[in-house]
Amino acid sequence: MEFLRPATWEEALAVKAQHPSAVPIAGGTDVMVDLNFDRHRPDALLDLNRIHELHTWQIADDDTVRLGASVPYSKIIDALPDRLPGLALGARTVGSPQIRNRGSVGGNLGGASPAGDAHPPLLASGATVEAASVRGTRLIPIDDFYLGVKRNALEPDELIRAIHIPSATGPQQFAKVGTRNAMVIAVCSFAVALHPRARDVRTGIGSAAPTPRRASEAEAFIRAELDDTGLWTSAGELPLSTAKRFGELVARAAAPIDDVRGSAAYRRHALAVMARRTLLWTWNDHRATGRAAA
Amino acid sequence: MSPQTTPWIGAAAARVDGPVKVTGTAIYTGDVALPELAHAVLVQSTIAKGRITDMDIAAAETAPGVLAVCTSDGSLGIGRVASYYSADNGPMGDGRTPLSDAVIHHHGQHIAMVVAQTLEEAVAGAERIRTRYRHQSPLVRIEDAIPQTPPGREDIVRGDLTTGLAVADVTVEAYYETPPQHMNPMEPCTTTAHWVGDRLTVYDSTQYVSGVRDALASAFGVPPANVRVLSGFVGGGFGSKGTVWPHVLLAAAAARLVDRPVRLALTRPQMFTSCGTRPATRQRIVLGAHRDGRLTAIGHDGTSATSPGENVVESTGGLTSILYACPNVTIRQRIVRLDMQAPTFQRAPGRAPGSFALESALDELAHELRMDPVELRLRNHADADPSSGRPWSGKHLRECYRVGAERFGWDPADRTPGTRREGDVLIGTGMASATHEMDPGPAAAYAELRVDGTAVIGVASHDIGTGTYTVLGQIAADVLGLPPERIIVRLGDTDLPEAPPSIGSQTVAYVGPAIRRACEAVRDDLLAAAVADPESPLYRREIGAIEFGPRTYVAELARIGEPSVSAVGHHHPDANSRYAVHSFGAHFAEVAVDALTGTVRVRRMVGAFDVGRVINPRTARSQLLGGMTFGLAQALMEATVIDPRRGHVVEPHLAGYHLPVNADIGTLDVLFVGEPDPHISDLGARGAGEIGVVGAAAAIANAVFHATGVRVRTLPITPDRVVAGSAVGG
Repeated sequence: MEFLRPATWEEALAVKAQHPSAVPIAGGTDVMVDLNFDRHRPDALLDLNRIHELHTWQIADDDTVRLGASVPYSKIIDALPDRLPGLALGARTVGSPQIRNRGSVGGNLGGASPAGDAHPPLLASGATVEAASVRGTRLIPIDDFYLGVKRNALEPDELIRAIHIPSATGPQQFAKVGTRNAMVIAVCSFAVALHPRARDVRTGIGSAAPTPRRASEAEAFIRAELDDTGLWTSAGELPLSTAKRFGELVARAAAPIDDVRGSAAYRRHALAVMARRTLLWTWNDHRATGRAAA
Repeated sequence: MSPQTTPWIGAAAARVDGPVKVTGTAIYTGDVALPELAHAVLVQSTIAKGRITDMDIAAAETAPGVLAVCTSDGSLGIGRVASYYSADNGPMGDGRTPLSDAVIHHHGQHIAMVVAQTLEEAVAGAERIRTRYRHQSPLVRIEDAIPQTPPGREDIVRGDLTTGLAVADVTVEAYYETPPQHMNPMEPCTTTAHWVGDRLTVYDSTQYVSGVRDALASAFGVPPANVRVLSGFVGGGFGSKGTVWPHVLLAAAAARLVDRPVRLALTRPQMFTSCGTRPATRQRIVLGAHRDGRLTAIGHDGTSATSPGENVVESTGGLTSILYACPNVTIRQRIVRLDMQAPTFQRAPGRAPGSFALESALDELAHELRMDPVELRLRNHADADPSSGRPWSGKHLRECYRVGAERFGWDPADRTPGTRREGDVLIGTGMASATHEMDPGPAAAYAELRVDGTAVIGVASHDIGTGTYTVLGQIAADVLGLPPERIIVRLGDTDLPEAPPSIGSQTVAYVGPAIRRACEAVRDDLLAAAVADPESPLYRREIGAIEFGPRTYVAELARIGEPSVSAVGHHHPDANSRYAVHSFGAHFAEVAVDALTGTVRVRRMVGAFDVGRVINPRTARSQLLGGMTFGLAQALMEATVIDPRRGHVVEPHLAGYHLPVNADIGTLDVLFVGEPDPHISDLGARGAGEIGVVGAAAAIANAVFHATGVRVRTLPITPDRVVAGSAVGG
């Protein structure tokens, strides 16, 4: 197995172009597990740890966070909880402190496991993946990024450079069911983000379909409900029946399987509960902030 | 006669091995550095049943650094071993010796071994081996097998169950299931073996150095005196290191083959197929009781899984015959043979799954009777051992209930399920009894007084993370009148006097008195010689009036010109005691159950235990906290998932096999009740290592029922099982 250690981003792209089968490794929290369990035996590893810029982030004029692919979860929790509250909440549930010090959103996206904790908040935020190769850079909307179980939209010569995530303009939540309180792979997870300026609600479902996915029907339903009832303007109470219906539609959007972590039926049930709860939490937060601002 | 020091027994002394462990300088088996050390790696079967038809090792043999490749052709010449656990069937659990034939009995059976200069080269060599099999469908589900009566095992029958049920006002019948569990101590099983001529030295992570020595001697046809087994530090065992498994013999065979020291360390995935399991159980309990709660009948049928050739019984009914006074009791144990590795004793064998069923059933009966479950247990308190009629050596179970309930804030009036709610969270409390039987083992120990004012004590026992080094030092300190820092404790070496295995919670109870005898002997020999010696300042003194301690020993040894004196002491516990010897306890648990997602969190637990004399409240408390945590894991998390078609462990790693993390453990409180046991030994200590597990899962399951009204009779109590049993739902 070759171990390639580019010193710069340009060099990394050149190496990736020469060795399209090389597996990028940053924190190694997924890649090393696969190697250890002999699930994967790449002929080359492409070590990105020397490339400093991947550990940095910038805030664009439009308040979008351009998050370097290797920024560890612990940094997101410490430095970006206000701009990226949903992602920070998801990051808190990743592995152990040691894993959070090494693991990154870039790695989560590269692995594209349906159980990755970063995916639901990225879907709910409407993130964009900045992929680059020697051929150039392209921005892949998160909705188009996940193609199948552990498959993503990257071309063989592409590397993830950064993730562009709009700063939150409203409350965001993340919830996850597991059989223990930490270091747990999600039985299923759910994220919701309110976008009051756009009068939009976006969602992300984890561990309950071949890919992370949005609950589009549920989003359309709640968008219409909030519009029709004038709740965005009135900031009134969200009827429990609406939240319940939202939960049912989220559950319907999932395509879970039975596995050792839980049954398909349980996953749908838990998703409905989490979706209902997180919607009410975010809406109540939104109302509270609205009142405070008024 | 009085010591120059204050008593150390009963002191909450800190672990003497703490500094070397937290600084990473403790030498475990895998750390032992030997010149020319080679490494062995095991290749394991990827089918669960069938035969190896072909194994291509050519590429492995020529791989860089590879010294030897051994296949399942019997050429290693390992002789038969009578494992001390199952006298007939040896470490393979089926009478075979490791790598002796092409028959596959379970997924993960060792089928080849590669020895190389480095671990990496051994792994790389092993990966080059190609194996073909003739595959047969394995039988791995307990439901698919036909229960058999274990050879030589009779049902336990007291009174008449049918009559007992006929006279009952209330009966409860329920069926409980527990999954296979794997021990997963922090340190995986590791063996380092080194031959010099026909003398073998083995460093092994084991709970029984003497058992390993005897097994190796018989496997390699050398006298036991030629084999030395060392095990200075053991990173947990929980039973997985209690018996002699094939890899231990293979490490020694590899060292003989390549004529170099060889280390063989099991990987974490291999720990799931190489060193036993707590087998799955299915249990049916029927209880009959009068309206006032007095039990009229207990029937406990337990079926547990074992391997094709091994007769291991998970004795789920073991505690049922002694825990409650009941005239009519029938306990039946059955086994089913599955195509899996032989099971073994995991911490609190039989009692851990057995207490889950029995103590859940008691709770079901209490609910039927609308009676406080504590009161139900008090009404059935066994004042003497109901199975033998013998008096207890010491029993303060009533006090355990009382003191535990008081500390916990147990409310006997609040027993209606599903009534305490905090938002979406349902709160419940539950309790259960605990007991653990002592199995007496004879032990010998060594003690030496040295002219520099220090002492050495030694015994072929072990510190498997339990505090043995610390506690035995405290026991010796009081006899010798030396502070523990002047006492060097040696363990884990077959050159030391023989002790029982560190299983069954017996080390302190039976090795402790042997240490006492050795220390008394060396002290009294020295003092007796002194009072008889006209040259000694102690000449003609009354021994009983001498203040003994370092000054006395140093002066006397210096005077007679001896660097040290030593003695061996023995403790032979009475195997036919007229007392029944058990530890007792009571668990109380409070859980918070998410009414909608079904997740269960244990907010707090209180355990009150009667373990006789507590030598060191700090280490004893840690043992019980560990036991309660073990029980919490059994209740909510632990389960080895076996693929029903292919027979492999689905997730043989700690990411998938869940043990509790710190965030899962709420407030755990341990209380000691009772007094020194006057009949077990003059030390008065009983076992504390396992009783913390017994009943803990039932207390949590009972609390879940109280919180939700859902009775989960299958472990672990996962969120989907709570939701499936719940009428609340979404």
